[in-house]
Amino acid sequence: MTAAIEICNLSYRYPDGREALRNISFTIDEGECVGLIGPNGAGKSTLLLHLNGILPEKPNGAVRVFGQTELAMMRRDVGLLFQDPDDQLFCPTVYEDVAFGPQQLGLPEEPATQALAQAGLVGFEKRSPHHLSHGEKRRVCLAGVLACQPRVLALDEPTSGLDPRGRREFKALLHKIRATKLITTHDLDFVAEFCSRVLVLDQGELAADGPAEEILSDMSLMLAHGLERPHTLQHRHPH
Amino acid sequence: MHIPDGFLDLPTALATGAMASAGVGVALWQAKRTLPARRVPLLGVTAAFVFAAQMLNFPVAAGTSGHLVGGVLAAALLGPSAAVIVMTCVLVLQCFLFQDGGASALGANIFNMAIVGGAGGYAIYASTRRFAGGLRGVVFGAAFAGWCSTVLAAVCCAGELALSGRVAWRVVFPAMAGVHMLIGLGEGIITALIVVAVARARPELVDVRAEITRPGQVLALGLIAALGLALFVSPFACEWPDGLEKVAAKLGFEHFVSEKPMMPSPLPEYGLPGVKGAWVTPLVGMAGTLMAFALAFVLARVLTPKKEI
Amino acid sequence: MRHDFLDRYSRQDTPTHRASAEAKLTCGLAVVALTVAAPLDALPYFVALASALVAVALAARIPLNYLGVRLLWMEPFVLGVGVLTLLQPQGWKVFLGIVVKSTLSLVTMAVLANTTPFAEILRVLRRIRLPALLVTTLALMYRYLFVLVDEAERMQRARVARTFDRRRLYSWKMLATVLGQLFVRSTERAERIYSAMLARGWK
Repeated sequence: MTAAIEICNLSYRYPDGREALRNISFTIDEGECVGLIGPNGAGKSTLLLHLNGILPEKPNGAVRVFGQTELAMMRRDVGLLFQDPDDQLFCPTVYEDVAFGPQQLGLPEEPATQALAQAGLVGFEKRSPHHLSHGEKRRVCLAGVLACQPRVLALDEPTSGLDPRGRREFKALLHKIRATKLITTHDLDFVAEFCSRVLVLDQGELAADGPAEEILSDMSLMLAHGLERPHTLQHRHPH
Repeated sequence: MHIPDGFLDLPTALATGAMASAGVGVALWQAKRTLPARRVPLLGVTAAFVFAAQMLNFPVAAGTSGHLVGGVLAAALLGPSAAVIVMTCVLVLQCFLFQDGGASALGANIFNMAIVGGAGGYAIYASTRRFAGGLRGVVFGAAFAGWCSTVLAAVCCAGELALSGRVAWRVVFPAMAGVHMLIGLGEGIITALIVVAVARARPELVDVRAEITRPGQVLALGLIAALGLALFVSPFACEWPDGLEKVAAKLGFEHFVSEKPMMPSPLPEYGLPGVKGAWVTPLVGMAGTLMAFALAFVLARVLTPKKEI
Repeated sequence: MRHDFLDRYSRQDTPTHRASAEAKLTCGLAVVALTVAAPLDALPYFVALASALVAVALAARIPLNYLGVRLLWMEPFVLGVGVLTLLQPQGWKVFLGIVVKSTLSLVTMAVLANTTPFAEILRVLRRIRLPALLVTTLALMYRYLFVLVDEAERMQRARVARTFDRRRLYSWKMLATVLGQLFVRSTERAERIYSAMLARGWK
């Protein structure tokens, strides 16, 4: 069975010469939920962008999504959720934005309506993006990504800037979505709750790759890479 | 300088509408050929930027404040065809949502501020910046072009108002041109300041290539430009209004002409009081232009203390 | 800044708001054209139009004093240029005509803007096949206008908090620096928007 995501010896340099990624290799199977953690500037967002091939320079190494390297197929299969919803929500109304993907892909209108319902945004169709709260914008972006019916969801810091209720609602949403997931986040409790596997990225290199609980509980590893043990794993009392 | 509805009559509105459509059409065609897909969102975002920039108050004196129009700024940052598109969109939005500028005057406003101000301003910017290379040239060009675009747009506006028969050319031309020669200073300075700020942060955004034209060429070009301006303006100073009436009569607008006579107004002839003669107007225009040129150069020297390439 | 400072009343629900955007746009522009072309002594027309506008504004729940404030935008041009018409013999007729026409046209456009969300106007423009680049630029401009104004306000506030120099020239330099930074950030945002468009299949 082809892996959902296959990264082989991926290296990438920005146009100004800075090295962003150094010889990264890993594989993600279909259905896995993987957390990508690391300090700021590690290259996590850059790595995610490679899954859609939208960076200005060509990388060294291979990126394969379900065995494909063709960009159009990759963009169809991997739904990318950007860090700043204002960057991704570019249409004049909510409905037009969610329908943008299906329209470009030549799909009918139903996925857009379904995605809106999935994200709990029925009734928001005619709203203007600049009137929405941060959490609502996030959900519209997610709906816009879901409307393309991707097989893999790549989420870049999905809970940043959300208040506790926003986080809860978003987590509830994610639980209901059946897809392979790769999530970048600083929220280590989120990772502990959601992800079965964790990749640690530091200065463009893959520092660790293993089961979530094992890596997150390893205090020295966490501290060495600018992280810490999540609260949910800090005090373990036998119940 | 947004003209409201009612200031232009229907024929002028239609004529300027046609000219604006032609200009925007050319810009779109040019953009289609040269604009990479990657830059398409930049136009929209820059239009939002110009709109936002226009809303800022630049305090002048005693509660008055100046505002940026931005045609030359857009042109210096994006090139002429993109600037025309950006400014057109800004004007359309202002007309529809802000009611700043009339719907019937949209053609005239686009022609004045987007095409003459933006594309025309770019031509002046591109040629002027060669008089001093690198960043200093860019700042110099931006400042002078900012001033010129304001004045030229005002002259066109005056022409449109006179053609519509609302005001006499002899009155509106000196009024508009004179006032905007002052306002243009603000536009030039603000444009230059912003271009410097952008160039310092990200030089690649402002195309700073050191191209210097020799001083002899500079002088020659400058004199030719000033002479051209003088020749352009002098017929307007005396013969054009009469010529216009003859044209109007030929085209059947006689009743119009008789109702609103373009007779000399109580205002003195444009120029120094007590001095008569058709040569005064172009002389004042030339002097103003040369002064703005010099001021722009001084500003460039002040803002770029040593030659930054 | 309030995010509805442009079209505060365009999102209400009245019969006027529910009317088709094409009809409202055509109607509005036709009225403006007619008003501009009308001879100065067509008094009944002007009076009828004024009453109709007030009626529509009331039906669409647009406060009349809001429309009055919008009229102030015109004031510099009317006072500056319009006044010049008075310098001709019989100039007061021209001046009056200008004032009446510009006021009625502006109120018409204001009523149009406040009964039709801009997104619908964009849809109409797309349908009449206005060049795609223009429509896209208009759409993105409207969308990111508020984002940029907010950003500019935040940067301005941050600068003012650290500035103690009250000189005018310094404040111009500060404003220009803020705008310069805003433009740089805007280009970066434009790149990210392009990436987001590509990621969802834009060609």
